[in-house]
Amino acid sequence: MELRSKAARLAVAHPGVLLAACPGATRARLAVEEELLRRSWPVVAGPASANLLVVVGDPDPARADWAENLWNGIPEPKSRAVVREAEQATAALDDGHLALFGPDDQVSVSPREERRMNGVLPSGRAGSRRREGHAPDGPAHAVRDGAAHHDCAEHETESHHSGHSGDGQDEAHGTHGGGHGHDMHAMSVVAGLPMADRADDRDGLRLDRLHVPLGPALLDWPAGLVLRLALQGDVVQQAEVDQISVRASSRHPFWNDPWLRVIAGERVERGLAARRLCAAHLDSVGRFLAVSGWDDEAKRARSARRRVLAGASVEELGVLLRPWARQLRRSRTLRWLTRGLGELSSERAAAAGVTGPALVAGGDAYCRLLVWLDEIERAAAVCGDTRVLDATELSGPRGRLNGPVPPSQALLDVLPGLLEGAEFAGARIIVASLDPDLDELVPVVDSRVAHE
Amino acid sequence: MQQRRRTTAADVALTRLGVVLLPVAALLAAAVVPLGFRSVSDLADGIVWFNAMEALAWAAVWLAGWGPNSTLALIGGYRFLAQGLAYELPHMLAITTAALGAESLRVGEVVDTQAGLWFAVWMPVAFAIYLLSAMAMAFWGPFDQPAGRDVAGGAAAELSGVDRIVFLGGRWLLLTVAAAFSVPLFLGGGNGPLLPPWLWTVLKTVAVLAFLVWIRRKVPTLRMDRYMEVAWVVLTPLAILQALVVALVVLVR
Amino acid sequence: MLSEVAFWGLAALAVAGGVMVFRFDSMARATFALLTSLLCVGGEVLLLGLDYLGIVIVLMMTIEMAIMAVFMIMYMMNPAGLTPMTMMHNKQGATAICAAAFVLLAAGILSTPWPARRGKPPTDATMDLGMSLMGPQMLTMMTLGMALFATIVATVVLATRRGRYDRLGDSLRAPSTDDPIRGGVGR
Repeated sequence: MELRSKAARLAVAHPGVLLAACPGATRARLAVEEELLRRSWPVVAGPASANLLVVVGDPDPARADWAENLWNGIPEPKSRAVVREAEQATAALDDGHLALFGPDDQVSVSPREERRMNGVLPSGRAGSRRREGHAPDGPAHAVRDGAAHHDCAEHETESHHSGHSGDGQDEAHGTHGGGHGHDMHAMSVVAGLPMADRADDRDGLRLDRLHVPLGPALLDWPAGLVLRLALQGDVVQQAEVDQISVRASSRHPFWNDPWLRVIAGERVERGLAARRLCAAHLDSVGRFLAVSGWDDEAKRARSARRRVLAGASVEELGVLLRPWARQLRRSRTLRWLTRGLGELSSERAAAAGVTGPALVAGGDAYCRLLVWLDEIERAAAVCGDTRVLDATELSGPRGRLNGPVPPSQALLDVLPGLLEGAEFAGARIIVASLDPDLDELVPVVDSRVAHE
Repeated sequence: MQQRRRTTAADVALTRLGVVLLPVAALLAAAVVPLGFRSVSDLADGIVWFNAMEALAWAAVWLAGWGPNSTLALIGGYRFLAQGLAYELPHMLAITTAALGAESLRVGEVVDTQAGLWFAVWMPVAFAIYLLSAMAMAFWGPFDQPAGRDVAGGAAAELSGVDRIVFLGGRWLLLTVAAAFSVPLFLGGGNGPLLPPWLWTVLKTVAVLAFLVWIRRKVPTLRMDRYMEVAWVVLTPLAILQALVVALVVLVR
Repeated sequence: MLSEVAFWGLAALAVAGGVMVFRFDSMARATFALLTSLLCVGGEVLLLGLDYLGIVIVLMMTIEMAIMAVFMIMYMMNPAGLTPMTMMHNKQGATAICAAAFVLLAAGILSTPWPARRGKPPTDATMDLGMSLMGPQMLTMMTLGMALFATIVATVVLATRRGRYDRLGDSLRAPSTDDPIRGGVGR
């Protein structure tokens, strides 16, 4: 027992952290990421490998069952922390870490877990509803008694299975329609989980397709975004944009703050705005590279982002960024892998009201990456500019901020069209190459209350 | 110390089978890899044996992805099948080329033939293709898409606790075995001056592994929708040409 | 003695796997029951001293079943066999045919007066196998191989709806191909 608890302590000395960031909390997210890096706690990709769930931001408690689902998917020992403001990051992580060790050096077993251990499942661990990726909604727990796990040979003659039984099957699934309520599409449900229905694929074959919500707690994913995909094999057939609901914020979106302050009539230095733009793009590029599977360069982007926000000098940033950007531009593999994904011509972008780098690029994901790299280098060079930003230069990281809708809304509008027909891995790169910032869509209570 | 978890309506038996099969396949493949000049079993058809055992990993990864009844894990699972279809054809031709050079399927004889000139020197294309497929079969480095972070760990997305350790450990084992097998096939096995043969094998294996680890930092993940065409349209003909050259050399020799 | 135990063990496992294909109600389980059965058959061939054939059976069957899994996902995207389903249409008929075939083969094996062994097993069975296939039968095997390959290509060509005119335009001169997903060679 002694040994066991020691081993347990050792195992959670560097707990795997599952980050669930909400829109409107970019500042807090950056603080948490910095703190995690300092402690060298790994950020994990899913609940299965996590010990500590960190919810960043202020999710609407009435509609936060996605966070509950994540929590239920994490195996013991586990604990969770909520970080609403950047300043709380250190303390919240400490508390969460401490909670991983139970009261007297024992790994904690929550009452819930105890109940489950005494329950029906022989090895009954957290069996939350995991089928829909990181399902943001739907019943928090699907049927959890062993009955859901069907036993072989017992239902051989049952006819309500998908796939094989011919025409009657289509009727069983025929109820599927456009019903995108809060919960899920209308379709047959087994063990509390929606089944695949069928639709024509791009070659005109009638094949199974699955409705999968992606997000919000995916790694390297725009905070708070939920994409409802209809997947046929690996091909995205339909995509719908949704987002998790959060409480109204009292702050401007972090990345747009300098320009919004100018709109509000304040005096803002150009250098500050350039710094913010540079960091915002580095954040986006970091995500893009991570999704493309180039962790090393993504790490460099993130550490550069940290230096930019920490106020590094123009010279230091030049030394840091130039070789990095050159290497990315020279990588033929990266170009080969991202060419032709999410082609968005300038005309189409302009028609949809897109104004930022996506409009300038007027091309595929790789073009957008190049535009980001150019803007990063250009902005890094003027970080020290002390002149005042005038009210005609109101272009934030994602586009013009004095337009009728926030720039990210335009990006979200074009997103489904770009995703349809893409393969899953490509779809993730397309999302990362637009990188909409859902902070911009969070309602602000009073824009004059607080600034960064 | 993490607990195992179970997902709703999962096929636990198949998941466990997949998880355990991966390290088992790696160990079985390792049986024909010689340390120095001796292996656990120098089968007459050792090269085919290695190939067959490494194909078991296809089944293992797919089962581990299918079993938990989770979409992202499923995507990871079938990504590995696509990857397998892409890498296997040039891979088979590459190891066949080595066998052709030695005129034997026995790994020991392949090593003996390389007492003078290493196969890596006069079959560079086959060697390069083998290194690519070594990474691909262990879904590692630029080929880590089946367990990619973009699908939350892919085939391993739903594994926790001991399952996760066994599965990811099996993957490391497979990578090591694949790297180790390149030594008898292309790098002269235990042949080398001064040092004892076993040490040569270990040194060469470590060098290959180090190269594979290095390349991971330099290249982003290769997606199969792009790589598949390269594998079939470029690498396969190249591998056939290499085999043809080697066959001619062997005939003339 | 040991090989006898292995023989009967593998035989029992192979038959049990075959039976389980009919008993399981999940496509994945049925597929892997079939694979188990076939791997056991590969093991039996190994026991008979035909190393090469045995290992090739293991290799081929594993890859074949893995490719089956690709189709499985096309037709059934519900992972883990959430919905129970049978693999067979006409289950009684299939069972009857399988049982009859099994009985027929077993009866044939048991009732044939096998000749006693003359001579010795070859030292290198793989070599002998290769010589007998590629020596006197070379022409047959090459023709057969080409015919099989041509069949595969022809089937794919007939099955795809899009041909080169869809991809490259009527004059086949389009600068880039019109594909739903771009490939890696940039054609």
